[in-house]
Amino acid sequence: MINSLAMEWQKLRPLHKTARTVLLAIALAIVVSALVSVAMASNGPNMSLLDRQAFDSVATSLQGVNAAVLAIAAFGVLCVTREYGTGMIKVTFLAQPSRLRVLAAKLTTHAAIAGVAAAGACLAAFAVGQALLGTAGLSVGWGNASLPAALGGGVVYLMLICTWGVALGAALRSSSTAIIWLASLLVVAPVIVQILPQHLIDLVGRWLPSQIGQQAISSHPSVHSFSPWTGLAVLSAYTGLTLLAGAWRITRTDP
Amino acid sequence: MIEVRGLTKRYGDRAVVDDLSFRVEPGAVTGFLGPNGSGKTTTARMILGLTDPDAGVATVGARRYRDLAHPLREIGALIDPGGVNPSRTAIEHLRWLAAANRLPRRRADEVLSLVGLDGVAGRKVGGFSLGMRQRLGIAAALIGDPPTLVFDEPINGLDPEGIRWIREFMQDLAAEGRTVFVSSHLMSEMALTATELIVIGQGRLIAAESVAAFTERAESSVRVRSPQLNVLAAALADQGASLWRDGDVLEVVGVSIEHVGVVALKLGVLLYELSPQRASLEEAFMRLTADICDYVAGQAA
Repeated sequence: MINSLAMEWQKLRPLHKTARTVLLAIALAIVVSALVSVAMASNGPNMSLLDRQAFDSVATSLQGVNAAVLAIAAFGVLCVTREYGTGMIKVTFLAQPSRLRVLAAKLTTHAAIAGVAAAGACLAAFAVGQALLGTAGLSVGWGNASLPAALGGGVVYLMLICTWGVALGAALRSSSTAIIWLASLLVVAPVIVQILPQHLIDLVGRWLPSQIGQQAISSHPSVHSFSPWTGLAVLSAYTGLTLLAGAWRITRTDP
Repeated sequence: MIEVRGLTKRYGDRAVVDDLSFRVEPGAVTGFLGPNGSGKTTTARMILGLTDPDAGVATVGARRYRDLAHPLREIGALIDPGGVNPSRTAIEHLRWLAAANRLPRRRADEVLSLVGLDGVAGRKVGGFSLGMRQRLGIAAALIGDPPTLVFDEPINGLDPEGIRWIREFMQDLAAEGRTVFVSSHLMSEMALTATELIVIGQGRLIAAESVAAFTERAESSVRVRSPQLNVLAAALADQGASLWRDGDVLEVVGVSIEHVGVVALKLGVLLYELSPQRASLEEAFMRLTADICDYVAGQAA
């Protein structure tokens, strides 16, 4: 297993297209958090006292997590699909004939990198977001009681999404197919759900990964959603099932 | 050493590799010969653990590929000239391979200069010519300094200079005492490169012998021209000779030229020509595989 981890780590060391998606994810997280915070801050003078009490300052400055999600997922997908696309996977299996170990090593390295990147992105986004919200007196600062849970939730959410990407890449093998699926589930599905009647939105919406992610960074969870950790457990189940399919395909179908 | 015993692979009803058994010994270049679609690549993939056999076993130094802890130190393989992410540089590609089998990092530089690519170590593989990619593939095969090497169709698409380079390189590797197993569909190329041969057709073993023995068999054909060929052909066929007839010319394999003369005399058959033929290896190979290849046999009949 150590060999496989060393192999996957060495593959990532030169910063290639695949690894660059991580940097993109971090940049998107910070920029979007800043933009959302600026918008909120500019709206600050119009807010009533009630609005200010209901305002989730932590979640607002972590909104970038939702923007980073597709890039993080792509980072996971590409580590498998690019190898199938270029035929490099055969050389990988020559070096490590146990395909499940290869898959496990990819999951471990990529989830770890996604975790570090997500932690950095969340901390930076929170710092930037709070500074901007502070201009309208909407900041809560580092001492806020719900901050650790929201930060942890955001990081775990992005790690799970990356793992899901790796699993989906192993199950589908094609970069375009896997990314279209992810984009549909993460970006398109929420839009489609929004046009449903309200009672259906309340029923279906909670199962969407995007809503699970939104809950994970919230300090005021919505009643029509899973609680943050239940939601992350649901997302783990999605990931686990996809992983079973990926493991089955990687061992059963030859490259 | 590579050993294959009763190896079988079916895709649907068709057996691509059918109860194949052979051994590849160290210290020689062994050619693995067969027409396109005869099962060479599938056999190589089963040796390398990329495809599971339906029956039988393939071992490298007495162990199955999947049981090797550091496979790159036991066997090196060139399976297709792709297999590299084009956005990686040559040295990066070799470094992750070295890491995968806990080989020192400097091995990447060593094998790169061994194949003459040290000048382009930092260039992206996407810009490499086919010949350069083949060299990089060979560097990758050599990274663990393995005693056994498998090259699948290494000369496909190479220019004459590249072909000569690979040929001499493989011979040098064998001279160092390594097992070198190289597949090809070109008999003429194998005659120049290999000293041992394993010939397959439709997934079955046709011949496993030295190139010299194979050449001997190829040269032992006899050409007969006669106005009474039917009588002579029938008699020779009864005695187990293989015959190919083209008009009034008969080609005979499996009996000596003296024997053909004696039979003709006994039958009172008039001969216009009785001559030993030095068929090329390519012809011998075609003849051997023609028995097996149904589509060719269909034309001949």
